[in-house]
Parts: sequence; C-alpha cells; structure tokens
Amino acid sequence: MIFIAVLWLLQDLAQVTLMGICVVPDVFMLCTLFAVLLPRMERTRQSRFIWLLFIGELLWDLRWTNLPGLTSAVACMLVGISCIIWDKIPSQGRSVGVFATLAFVCEILSSAVYYFFWTFPSAVSQRLIIVQQCVAVPIILLLSAAFWEKREIR
Amino acid sequence: MLTFGRETHPWISGFFAAIAGCIILLLTNTYGDVKFHAAECVSVALSYPEVPATYVRDFIKFGSGWVLERKSLNERVEMLELENRAMAEKLQRANIAVPAPKGAFINANVTLRYPEEWWQSVRIDKGAEDGVTRGAAVLSDGFLVGRVSEVGNRSSWVELITSSAFLLASVVDQTRDLGVIEGDGKGGLKLSYISVERNVRKGMNVYTSLISDRIPPGIPIGEIISLHGEKDGYKVINITAGAHMTQLYSVKVFTGAKITK
Repeated sequence: MIFIAVLWLLQDLAQVTLMGICVVPDVFMLCTLFAVLLPRMERTRQSRFIWLLFIGELLWDLRWTNLPGLTSAVACMLVGISCIIWDKIPSQGRSVGVFATLAFVCEILSSAVYYFFWTFPSAVSQRLIIVQQCVAVPIILLLSAAFWEKREIR
Repeated sequence: MLTFGRETHPWISGFFAAIAGCIILLLTNTYGDVKFHAAECVSVALSYPEVPATYVRDFIKFGSGWVLERKSLNERVEMLELENRAMAEKLQRANIAVPAPKGAFINANVTLRYPEEWWQSVRIDKGAEDGVTRGAAVLSDGFLVGRVSEVGNRSSWVELITSSAFLLASVVDQTRDLGVIEGDGKGGLKLSYISVERNVRKGMNVYTSLISDRIPPGIPIGEIISLHGEKDGYKVINITAGAHMTQLYSVKVFTGAKITK
C-alpha cells in the first residue's frame, strides 16, 4: 500500500514535469487494478486497495481536474467492473492477455471520460489523449510482464 | 474489509466508492467554496514535494525553447532599442528629461489552469513573498495577458484578459482613441466604446492606457482583426491577443510601484 501511495506521488510529479507536453496515463489506477487482480489476493485487501484508489483519485481531482469525485468514481467503477469480469472468468482463462485487455480498456474508458467531461473537445485535446494512450501502452506491457511473473503455476 | 460482519466483494467496494465519488462531485459543485479551499490545501501541501519536478520541467523547457526564442528575442530587443532611441531623441528635442525606468518584472511559471476556467484564470508560482501585488500586470511574450486577482504567500491567481469579467482601459495606438478591452470568456476580445465616427481600422494595435492605477501604460495587448457594424452608437471591434493565450507556461509579473499619473 505504501508502494501505491508513493506511486501516486510519482504520477503527480510526472504530471508536473510533463505539464503542457502530455497528460500522464492513470498509472495509479492501473497499478491498483494489477494489485486487485493478483492471484490469491484476499477480498479484504482488494477492498482496501479500491478505497485507497478512491482517496488517491480524489486527491488527484483536487490537484488537477477541479472536479472532485469524478476520477474517483470512474476509476473505482472501472476497477469494480474489472473485478466482476475477472471473477466470472474461469481460473484457467485468467491469463496475462485478459489482464492486459482489462487494463487497456480501463485506461481508454477513463481517458474517454476525461475527454468528454473535462476537456474541450478539440484537436489539441485529441492529440493529448492519443499521446496519453501511447504512453500507457508500455506501462501496461510492464504491468503485464509483472503479472506474468506473479501468475499461479498450475 | 467487513460489511455487516461479512466479507465484502471488491466490486461492491468499487460500486460504493463510485457512488461516494458522485456524491462528492455533486456536493463540491454545489458548495464551490469548499472545493476551492480543499483544492488550495492539496495544492499547497503538494507544492513542496513538487519543487524538484518544477525545476526539471523548467530546465527541459528552457533547454528546448532557448534556441528558438533567442532569435526572436534578439530581433525584438533590436526593434525596441531603435524605438527607444527614437523616442529619447524626440523627448530631448522637446526639452523633456528622459525618465528612469520604474518597477521591474519577475518571471513566474503557470502551475494550474483549470479546463473549465480555461479563458478565465491561471495560477502562478509567485506570490506576496516575491513582491506580487493584487492588480499587477501580467505579460507573456511582451503582451498583456491579464492581471493578478488574488495573492497568496507563494502563489497568485491571474485573471486573464479573455475572462468575461475583465475590463481594462486601453488605447488604439495609431488614432489614440480610448476604449475598454473586454474578454468574452471564450478566448475572444472586444474593444468597446469607440465611437462610430472614429477612423479605427483593421490591423491597428491596441495598448494599455494611462487610465489604470496598477497597469503601466504602453503595454501591447493585441491587434484589431475585424469591425462588425455598430451597437448603441459604438463600433463593434474584435481584437486578437498578441500573446499565445493557449500556450501560457511562463509569464512576467510587473512588480513596479503604483503608477503615478
């Protein structure tokens, strides 16, 4: 959990550094998703991670979006839905590919909410969203590699 | 995590967290002051760990922009020096002593610009401790971009010229007609109260006038881009801002003493 909190700060510092160049992807949400979907993760800890995500995203909203609660609601909803999907998939099917797909869909949907609710739809914001998705790809691949490392060997 | 003595599914936590987020969103939009103060608290708390990142950003921007800016700045300095020399000559011929420069500018970085208030205000990283005062002129690329509306110890808010609440006495350089610059809150600028009889034309430059107690006269604001008929006996004049209002990363704040008329 301390790691996740440090990660939030790193994401904030990255956003400060890259302000005006690009919008950083929601690494905090992706890492929480990673932690929540890890094999043998207890439900109690999963729920704690989700509430930690809620607090982190609320702080993010207060720092960056001026719409407190929007990112929290969207991120928690996406991670919650991902948990439902993950639970419905048989354990044999819970592969790295499914994790990567879920992570990528979560990232795209969270960016889409930003695009429609937070920014003025324009060529500039479209470019920012595209750059954000491009930056998110290697992060998702790294998380997928970490997920591969942590997978259960049957 | 237990709810009513039972282990909670993570998706239930996610669902409740999403509802909590929506409630916070509704409440904070209802009570704007609470949102503003909470956002300020978070920004102030984070301003300390963010210092190194700000330096890194400045260094990157400085490095990348240095080469590009140098040429245009040199040209601008050369032009201003020529103008200054010509004006000094005229003053000397008219037996008027050339006044010493008053006040100074400090550089500030834009640290926050809310998308929904894109054309209204920005926050900068200089405040009262750096000599920023309420009402001070804020420039970018040598053009007026706004004035300081709120001053904190280490940060300030700048009301942009494009803000719908912005009004400033200004003058058309070529005809010396006085008017008022108004923002429309959508990135546009209007010059009001110029009588229909006046010969104001497209391409003329607009500057700040002497009729302001904080903003020095002679700061360029922009250029007249179109004239659309008349309204209540005055011309409807559209102005384009000289500064790049969509690319405000660093600005200069005028820290001079109160202007003496």
